[in-house]
Amino acid sequence: MPYKDLREFLTRLEAEGQLVRIKEEVMPEPHIGAAGRAASNLKNGPAVLFEKVAGYKYQVVTNVHGSWANHALMMDMPKDTPVKDQFHELNRRWDAFPVGVKRLPTGPCKEVKVTENINLFDVLPLYRINKYDGGFFISKASVVSRDPEFPDDFSKQNVGTYRIQVKGKDLIGIQALPFHDIAIQLRKAEEKGEPLPVAIALGNDPMITFMASTPVMYGQSEYEFAGALRNGEPVELVKAETSNLEVPAGAEVILEGVILPGVRTCEGPFGEFPGSYSGARLQCEIKIHTITHRHNPIFENLYLGMPWTEIDYLMALNTSVPLYKQLKASFPEVKAINAMYTHGIGCIISTKVRFGGFGKAVAMRLLSTPHGMPYAKVIIVVDEFVDPFNLEQVMWALTTRVKPDKDVSLIENCPGMPLDPSSFPAGMHTKMIIDATTPVAPEPNPRETALLENPEGTAEWEEKLRQLVAGFGK
Amino acid sequence: MTCPRCDSDKTHVLTESPVGKVWTVYICDQCFFSWRNTESAEITDPAKYNPKWKLTAEKIANLQVIPPVPALKK
Repeated sequence: MPYKDLREFLTRLEAEGQLVRIKEEVMPEPHIGAAGRAASNLKNGPAVLFEKVAGYKYQVVTNVHGSWANHALMMDMPKDTPVKDQFHELNRRWDAFPVGVKRLPTGPCKEVKVTENINLFDVLPLYRINKYDGGFFISKASVVSRDPEFPDDFSKQNVGTYRIQVKGKDLIGIQALPFHDIAIQLRKAEEKGEPLPVAIALGNDPMITFMASTPVMYGQSEYEFAGALRNGEPVELVKAETSNLEVPAGAEVILEGVILPGVRTCEGPFGEFPGSYSGARLQCEIKIHTITHRHNPIFENLYLGMPWTEIDYLMALNTSVPLYKQLKASFPEVKAINAMYTHGIGCIISTKVRFGGFGKAVAMRLLSTPHGMPYAKVIIVVDEFVDPFNLEQVMWALTTRVKPDKDVSLIENCPGMPLDPSSFPAGMHTKMIIDATTPVAPEPNPRETALLENPEGTAEWEEKLRQLVAGFGK
Repeated sequence: MTCPRCDSDKTHVLTESPVGKVWTVYICDQCFFSWRNTESAEITDPAKYNPKWKLTAEKIANLQVIPPVPALKK
């Protein structure tokens, strides 16, 4: 069964040994950031719930998505499910899109309403995540906004994760990069000189947070995708207090406000997902005028740092699956895509090769997808029998299939991801395609080889050895 | 109170801790840097703040604008 809200998921994680409670009081800095980093250093690291944070009223939880075990449990699969199997299950559920939402008159996120003397610190135990962050950041919010040109179009309602810096008791900064969906909506509002209403949902059912960080098409609803990934169980929404925005009924906290038109003020630096700080920039501001929250809200936030950290688990398969779908629609030969490296800056495509040059052409298609265009930079293409989630196999393909003078292609002056520190000027980059597939006619293959096969009985021996190993110490 | 990052004197108390008198958070009106008085001196002391991350009014004025502000449509 999918989870109704964050709390149900935390209960499941704890039952599975994937959540730990810190009962002693901690200081906001440096303890919470350090524990988030430490949790993601562990193999199958747990979520970490801080019950007492000095000076604050409420609890903080971090690393909720931060391991493959937690990721599998999010999908209601056994916690030891291999990554490749999680990819294929996500891929299967994806096809159920769209699953219509369930609209409720009210929900737990409305238990408390604050409209006067707003102070974000009263509701959220805010803390500095990394040492040289320019302030206290909200790193795991689902920001809801609508298209001012199509205010009644539900499918164009965007739910996205953007970094948020607290700049006042009721003032926050938000990063809306030009290729983000929210930037399309902001532009339309700013061209009219109007504020853009936003509702920011914190502490959600893990699948909603997962979808908020998934690169889907502009006109596709993240909520209807979340329903598909919840195995067909619709997400439950309620109307925001002050706009026609729709927010998850079970959210811990909803911040309602507006992006102020034409305003850009100093924001950052912020330790970002490429493992380095992005510099200070002049970015948008949001004035918060209404807060609703559950009783005793839990503040869910994530640590991000040198990969891998929680954000890398959160953005791994939800980057891979939509790219896979888009490529597969053009080329059914594509078997899988691993776009787990730094939000798809590094991608590995596994494909059957229909004719010479096919692998390179498939990589070109990836570069023309909406997400791949700015993000994908290093693309490795391997044969269909190579598992792109098995890096030992990928390295085998690189070491035995690549003739660098013909198989490595550089494409200059392309869009780049500005937060990638090797992108210069920020937002421009060179793309590299490494075709590690076996040559197929009409491409010559002058030293054709026969692949080694497993000796007869390998599978049986593997099972027998596994059982013997499992029996040690019993 | 001087901003540890841009050395501006235009700062103010953003908030006191909601529970007890445990800490105070300050914020700079010029560069929006915020800090808690219980953080290390490397964060709270202008003399010890890493020069690599220091800002000036001139640097702030020349920061990249994201996203660019579009012209008003009539």
